[in-house]
Amino acid sequence: MSTPDDPADRTDADGETTADPGGTPAADPVSSSAEKYDGRKIVTGEAKYTADYRTQFPDLAHGTIVRSEIPHGEVTDIDTSEAEAIEGVYAVLTPWSAEVPETLYSSSGQSYPEPSPWDMRVLRRHVRFVGDPIAAVAAADRETADRAARALTVEYDERAAVFDTETATDPDAPRLFEDDEVENSQTGADYSRNVESAFGGEIGDVDAAFERDDVDRLELELETPYQSHCVPEPHATIAYTDEDGRRTFITATQVPNHTRRQLAHLFDIPIRDVRVKKPRVGAGFGTKQEMVIEPITFALHLASGRPVKLELSRQEEFSAVRSRHPMSLRVRGAVTDEGEIAALDLHTRSNSGAYGTHGMTVASNVGTKAMPLYPNVPNLRFTGEVVHTNLPMGAAMRGYGAPQGHFAVETLVDEIARHVGADPLEFRRRHAVREGDLDEASAILKDGTRFVRRIRSCGVRECLERGAEAIGWESIDQPTASHLHRGVGVALCAQGSGVAGKELGAAKLFMNEDGSFSLHVGGVDTGTGNDTMFTQVAAAVLGCSPDDIVVTAADTDVAPFDYGSYASSTTYISGTAVKHAAEDAKDRLRYWGSKLLEEPESVLETGDGRVYSEQTGESVTLEEIGYEAAYGHDEREQIMGHGHHSTDESPPPFGAQFVDVTVDERTGEYEINELVFAADCGVVINPALAEGQVEGGEHMSLEYATSGTLEFTDDGVPKTVGFREYGMPRTTDHPPMETILVETHEPTGPFGAKSIGELPTNGVPPALSNAVRDAVGVRLTELPITAEAVLEALDRT
Amino acid sequence: MTDIHIDCSINGQKRSFDAPRSALLLDVLREHGYTGAKRGCDTGACGFCTVQVDGEPVTSCVTPLAAVDGTTVETIEGLGSQDDLHPIQAAFVEHSALQCGFCIPGMIMRSKALLETNPEPTEAEVREALADNLCRCTGYKKIVEAVLDAGERMRSSPAVTDGGSEVAGERGAGGPCGRGRSCRHSPGERE
Repeated sequence: MSTPDDPADRTDADGETTADPGGTPAADPVSSSAEKYDGRKIVTGEAKYTADYRTQFPDLAHGTIVRSEIPHGEVTDIDTSEAEAIEGVYAVLTPWSAEVPETLYSSSGQSYPEPSPWDMRVLRRHVRFVGDPIAAVAAADRETADRAARALTVEYDERAAVFDTETATDPDAPRLFEDDEVENSQTGADYSRNVESAFGGEIGDVDAAFERDDVDRLELELETPYQSHCVPEPHATIAYTDEDGRRTFITATQVPNHTRRQLAHLFDIPIRDVRVKKPRVGAGFGTKQEMVIEPITFALHLASGRPVKLELSRQEEFSAVRSRHPMSLRVRGAVTDEGEIAALDLHTRSNSGAYGTHGMTVASNVGTKAMPLYPNVPNLRFTGEVVHTNLPMGAAMRGYGAPQGHFAVETLVDEIARHVGADPLEFRRRHAVREGDLDEASAILKDGTRFVRRIRSCGVRECLERGAEAIGWESIDQPTASHLHRGVGVALCAQGSGVAGKELGAAKLFMNEDGSFSLHVGGVDTGTGNDTMFTQVAAAVLGCSPDDIVVTAADTDVAPFDYGSYASSTTYISGTAVKHAAEDAKDRLRYWGSKLLEEPESVLETGDGRVYSEQTGESVTLEEIGYEAAYGHDEREQIMGHGHHSTDESPPPFGAQFVDVTVDERTGEYEINELVFAADCGVVINPALAEGQVEGGEHMSLEYATSGTLEFTDDGVPKTVGFREYGMPRTTDHPPMETILVETHEPTGPFGAKSIGELPTNGVPPALSNAVRDAVGVRLTELPITAEAVLEALDRT
Repeated sequence: MTDIHIDCSINGQKRSFDAPRSALLLDVLREHGYTGAKRGCDTGACGFCTVQVDGEPVTSCVTPLAAVDGTTVETIEGLGSQDDLHPIQAAFVEHSALQCGFCIPGMIMRSKALLETNPEPTEAEVREALADNLCRCTGYKKIVEAVLDAGERMRSSPAVTDGGSEVAGERGAGGPCGRGRSCRHSPGERE
């Protein structure tokens, strides 16, 4: 096991690396593109998402939320009389209602106690953005609920508001939080300046490095915008009390166990009395790593005495729920005459909007994900500040600060390469992280060395090589028209595999007589395919087919504990828990195999639906074992396995994003000709699903680079309220995409796997900026990159 | 509010509805158990609620119920079953052209409308036809590949265009992990 002062020699939680058991490579269930577990019910429309459970509740009430129309102020009165008089209205809640707790809480689905400040209440008197929930209605149908919501008369005492981080930190700026309105244990909080947290870390001596005579100094200032998750299924929850008095939630969540705990605390009921069930979820991307609407739904249930369904509208998704934090970044580099990077210095100022959910932790990941790409830079500094404004709150979103950080680091590294006269690809090949490197940058904000990590798998150079070949790095043909210029850009990407030291996943597995297994697992499939991955991992250990594994997941009454689906943790953490459970069960299969085959357990292996002897070749089927264990004459046993996993490890997956672009120098318009992403996620479990992660992540990254942003009036009123205003790429907006999976073997991962979910959201902004730089010589530092900005930059040269 | 009376055919079955004049097709479908059509925006901007009315793809969230009086409505529930997938459904499964799945019923209905009028579309035509159907998970690549492949499947077994379906379980690679029609996996998660 690890010792705190010797991170380099750390091993995985088991203290060993397990070789792939069972099966020949050709029949390996792990490496096959097994059919997606829920694929058939999705294509037939039978997959049930939260709102589809309505048919099970004949007396279901429909909820709706009334939201603040002002950016900052106090709700002084809500007249509910007219609404309550409407036929079919079952409950009207205001901040003063008995069913609505006054407790301060954090909505962030994080470990306990949440690092995010406890700064919100279920319904709010002190409103801090246009969209803050102030009242809620439950009624017989959606139309009646909406009509009642419109019948409320709200009186406000309006206060001055602030909409940018610069003004917000001015001592004279309107203050969003009084001291008694928030509990915050983060570093650097100063609510008199609307600062939710400030932090920093340094390795070496950055100032000294920048003052050296033999270095040149380069600097970029960058701006990144809001981005909406555009989660396909809007947030939805059904809350009811079942016949056993259990408070039950069918809810679209990434974090059933965190939500259960938070609900129990908020409503002061025992955790054991709360059941959170995740049905199929129409994706999360971080916006469901939150307890967003469950408390309001539950309060409406308490007040109405009926099961209540609350489904958010698309407008609420865009304007009132959660988004990616906008940031202003400054990155500086010192480069020696020999072309070595002597120092990197990164600062971010994040706009957390009205509340602090994931504010500090997202900002922290700006530096700790991208800086590990260059572990041999001797002097590193990363500082950040998280500031409140009267705009919608940022929160977790796929990539979790890493997209912002990569935009800064990978554009600066490109400038450094060009400055020293090196090919940006070659420069990265020379300087980027290698297997065996000791990465301190990911722990730059931590005390001590516990989270300093040894890089045990790294496919960066193969990603660069194969990606360059696919994009045609060496042989870009220039268009014949003289106003068109073509260029290529590359950006390296890294992420983590779970939150180091802050994860726990668990699984249990029991055998059925027919040789199949029921798997109960806390891991949360929000559409990415974890349930499929779980069957493949279990099958590979047990020596059966993935079809022989029946998954029941993410129901807190049935499945064991799991932190949830976030931080690229499901394969690495929950997948390892499943592997451990399967290994536990496999021990019992060997025992029964030994009994039936009359051979020692030590020579027995599982594979092809059997336990077989490596010595004699004799075998017994899993079905025979299943029946014998259940109905045997002299001895009986429920063959089971238990497993859980937690670790300080979080090995980074790596990738290289390539962009091929053509820029029109007359208009600044550009066209992306091709995207190539080469990914090293360790051993690939289910290549087709892994490719899907890359392609979907690139889609979001493409949007971030080119088209997605939220806009507001000068008074903080959202202008982006639907897909028509928001620039989500369509089929016709996507350039050709090529995905390359570069396999490495991560010794601490299940079957050698690392994560893949977030990695590909990091690359397009820097790679596109680098490609435009290559094509026409200008550096774009503000997202999304617009034709106007390109033209403006060209005009300046 | 005045109720209206609507007669239509849904997936080959005669249905009648009495509903308020303002009723929208999506609400009525979902209330009556056709929950394959999903609510994504209520403005006809995402395509998750796409169904076919007299063969035409429509976004049911902005289609008045009154507009389907006397028409033939087709929803995802009318295509194949899990053990007997329609070729478009089979292609989506085999190409892993789905993740969270929320957009997929609408995407498949839109693809069906395309392939019925243009059995051999080019990639550009597929992309054009699906441009109003959003997907957040896949980057569209595998979806477009699935639709092109589905066209080929439907051309090679023309019976399916007349409402037949394709034998399921024919996983291209015939790999060990294909969940064939004999698959025992039943509801993946407990309600």
